[in-house]
Amino acid sequence: MGMSAQDKMLNVASRLGLTTLKDMQGTTRMVYDSQTTAATNHTFFKGAAQRAFPLSNVGANGNQFQVNEALLVEKIGFFIPTAADGIAYTGLGANNRSVLFDLVIGNKTVMKDVSCELGGEQAFYNDGTSASSVIDLEGVGILIPPQVEYYVVAKIYNAAARTAETARLGCYLFGTGALLNFNTTI
Amino acid sequence: MANQVQKLSYVDSKLGVSLPGQQTTRVIYDSINAAAGQQFFQFFTNFAGKTQFQTNLTTNKLDSAESMVIKSVQIIINSATSNIEDHLNLNITVGNQVVLKDFDPSFNCSSRGLSFDRLHSGFNSPTNLEVRLLTEIVIPPQVNFKAELQISNALVAVNDDVTIILKGYGRIFSAGNSF
Repeated sequence: MGMSAQDKMLNVASRLGLTTLKDMQGTTRMVYDSQTTAATNHTFFKGAAQRAFPLSNVGANGNQFQVNEALLVEKIGFFIPTAADGIAYTGLGANNRSVLFDLVIGNKTVMKDVSCELGGEQAFYNDGTSASSVIDLEGVGILIPPQVEYYVVAKIYNAAARTAETARLGCYLFGTGALLNFNTTI
Repeated sequence: MANQVQKLSYVDSKLGVSLPGQQTTRVIYDSINAAAGQQFFQFFTNFAGKTQFQTNLTTNKLDSAESMVIKSVQIIINSATSNIEDHLNLNITVGNQVVLKDFDPSFNCSSRGLSFDRLHSGFNSPTNLEVRLLTEIVIPPQVNFKAELQISNALVAVNDDVTIILKGYGRIFSAGNSF
């Protein structure tokens, strides 16, 4: 039987000496960040504290979680902001856009040169008739521990022609999370 | 990993809820009749003057022998001008604790290939979305709760309706005895 998301979180937390993460509030969590200037290369979550909602939802803590808050990344999606205000967005769809990306946590690259191919995951991902702009992480997922910086470096390209594209881009990380719970009076 | 039934039993027992209750599937909802341009909505805090189709609660807490798990969240907007496929920010608070924080469910709206769920509906609506949560979050008996939703666009017109629906496994009162 495979390891559950909760098991993996607790296992990694234990190895990192985070002994109280097991007492925190379990949740479903997602963080996202948008770059609304068209470019070929984008870096997400770094400096995101400067980008208020709806450009990003990370808040004042920027690209690290608070004490005893964590996210087990189980799914990574990419979207195209429609305008500079970042309010509306679409999937990668047009021009066969796909994304080549790295996920970096702390000083460690934990996903390297991974491509989120437009329309990938056809075996199990079905969103009406729309091609997928999402990649499911194989295995249980990857934990972003509390107070460790994380970011995503991404390049856009045309999945059919295999050539670089220039566009706005956004990225979300989705999975099981933990929220701070004091578990005592303070 | 605990399922909804185990999680509810565990939390209830920790809180000293001894009555077993009738197992059920619980759906609770609250609807807000919006003002023009309204972007921030607080659900389950005001029940005055609402019909049974606008809310099925009369107070912002479950009854003394009732509890439920929040497993899925649905949001519906009745608007000709606004939508919920633009970025959203949803927070759910149980007691004094935020249990769902700065969550953007809009990625599950419409069929854009961005949904969190592997098998997402072909129900391609910009005004109706549902997200199935990965974790079981309990609303215990007699603990107040609320949901706060921020819509990024300011396109809501006067008298548009915004509704949130929480669904999951639950327990309702069962005396298990004759009165």
